[in-house]
Amino acid sequence: MTRALLEWAQRNGLFFALVILFVFFWLSSERFMTTANIAVILQQVSVVGLIAVPGAMLVLSGYVDLSVGSITVLGAVTFGKAMEAQLGLGVSIVLGLMAGTAWGVLNGYLIAILNFSPIIVTLGGLAGARGLAQLVTHGFTQFGFGPTFAILGNGELLAIPVPVWIYAAVFLAGAHVWYQTPVGPHMAAIGGARDAARALGIKTRTLPFWLYVASGLASSVGGLIVSSELDGSSVSTGVGMELDVLTGILLGGVAFTGGRGSLFGVLFGTIFIGALTNGLVQINVSPYFQQVAVGIALVLAAGLDVLYQRLDRIRFSDEADDPADPVPAVSQQPEAVK
Amino acid sequence: MAASSPVLELRGISKSYGPVRALQGVSCEIRSGEVVGLIGDNGAGKSTLVSVLSGAAQHDRGEILVDGVEKVFRSALDARAAGIETVFQALALAPTLDIVGNVYLGRELRRKGGSGRYLWWLDKAAMRREAASGFERLGLRLPALTTKVAALSGGQRQAVAIARAVIWGSRVVILDEPTAALGVKQTEIVLEFIERLKRQGVAVIFVSHNMQHILRVADRILVLRLGRKVFDGLRANLSGPQLVGLMTGAFADGIPETIEPAPAGGKDVRNAV
Repeated sequence: MTRALLEWAQRNGLFFALVILFVFFWLSSERFMTTANIAVILQQVSVVGLIAVPGAMLVLSGYVDLSVGSITVLGAVTFGKAMEAQLGLGVSIVLGLMAGTAWGVLNGYLIAILNFSPIIVTLGGLAGARGLAQLVTHGFTQFGFGPTFAILGNGELLAIPVPVWIYAAVFLAGAHVWYQTPVGPHMAAIGGARDAARALGIKTRTLPFWLYVASGLASSVGGLIVSSELDGSSVSTGVGMELDVLTGILLGGVAFTGGRGSLFGVLFGTIFIGALTNGLVQINVSPYFQQVAVGIALVLAAGLDVLYQRLDRIRFSDEADDPADPVPAVSQQPEAVK
Repeated sequence: MAASSPVLELRGISKSYGPVRALQGVSCEIRSGEVVGLIGDNGAGKSTLVSVLSGAAQHDRGEILVDGVEKVFRSALDARAAGIETVFQALALAPTLDIVGNVYLGRELRRKGGSGRYLWWLDKAAMRREAASGFERLGLRLPALTTKVAALSGGQRQAVAIARAVIWGSRVVILDEPTAALGVKQTEIVLEFIERLKRQGVAVIFVSHNMQHILRVADRILVLRLGRKVFDGLRANLSGPQLVGLMTGAFADGIPETIEPAPAGGKDVRNAV
């Protein structure tokens, strides 16, 4: 009974925490629960959210990408420099996406193929990609990309901001991969039991490689969206974004050790961070405290992860002690195998 | 079971890891419904041979023939596609996936038509159905197939690992130390299971350190020593001490007709290995 309750809380707890958060801010601020503000929250989380989709897949597979924020800026300034060089909007967008994807290829090659440490390589990318962006731009911001490009970040379709549509599309594609294709169990197997996955012939190198590439691509898409929103690409784009992404993933219940997690949890986790930050602004909490709140949420998420693992262990040991026929029974009449 | 052509044939398999010659020209034939006990001291080449047969490692020289056709295993999936299933000592289960997910791990069923081909859409209903009927056919009783493997007991995990290997109607099943971590009751179930597979015409390669288990279920025994096959013959007239002698190289000049029984209070055969 208690066990079922704990399991239910583990599966749905975040959703109800999100509901409580919304109710709290709804009661505290008149402007929080308005259509306009909800659209703002969704718009604010869409960049972090779409990067968190491949990010969560990496964590599920036992990897991590800390370079996403810096890849975002690399994509943004590559686009900005290409626009500055009069290469045209289409070419500039492609170049911006290629820059981020190339960094993803580098991450994937070093980590998934050559077995470099994911944390060290992407921590290097965190410093390196932003440094490269600064080197290219000398710290100057490119701006004035025109009204067509502004649609990407500021446009609306059916009263819903374009970035939210992009996030929705990425999330749905990710949910399909996560829940409905062989890639889902393969990621969980690689993250939860890599040797077993390898012994069964699962592509324990190729799959994480492509996830890093996808993470790079998603980050550069995020960089373009931010550039469009601001109508400028600055080297301060996406500072600290890797923390927001990782917080959403871990708060969503994906185990940092890999093997376990749900993409819908990541969706709720990402929205939770967005609603928290937005609501704190609404009730006039100091903006400095918002970073503290995100940090607290991340530590809480880590604590929840430990709690979930404890619960798992209690639950599993309970069931393992179940005296009812713990071993397989061999039937008396063997039937012929086909 | 007719003594027809061998289902699995190895010809001069050699494999080196750097300067270490793990396997040197090992040849053998295995027929349907035959249980071959594979034994050898540590470092004799058992694990390497299992790796080569399961596709986890590639041999340097020699040929593997399945039903008389030469096969090249570039990965574990190739070996599985050729009908050779391996139950690894470590079981190779993903604890966070459920039983069905583990049974189908690496060769999931996709939906028929475009959604399966282009969207890789899993056919979860078919996998559950076929896994359930497969477990029933094998006579294995397990908790609900949606139970996570992490929640299973050791014996149940062993059952899932073995069931995964045989549920496909495989031709050859390799069991690498399947009884090493099991209690008496579970060991008995595994041994009975091997006998069932034999009756169903599956060729079984049974790797074990336990001479009693080998002598109980194996029809034929293959002894490796320092990468070479030093014995390949029927179990019939062999005893535990003779096997140990073969493994350790005490009988390099052939098996003596009789062997003095071990002195009273002597070591168990198993411990002598």
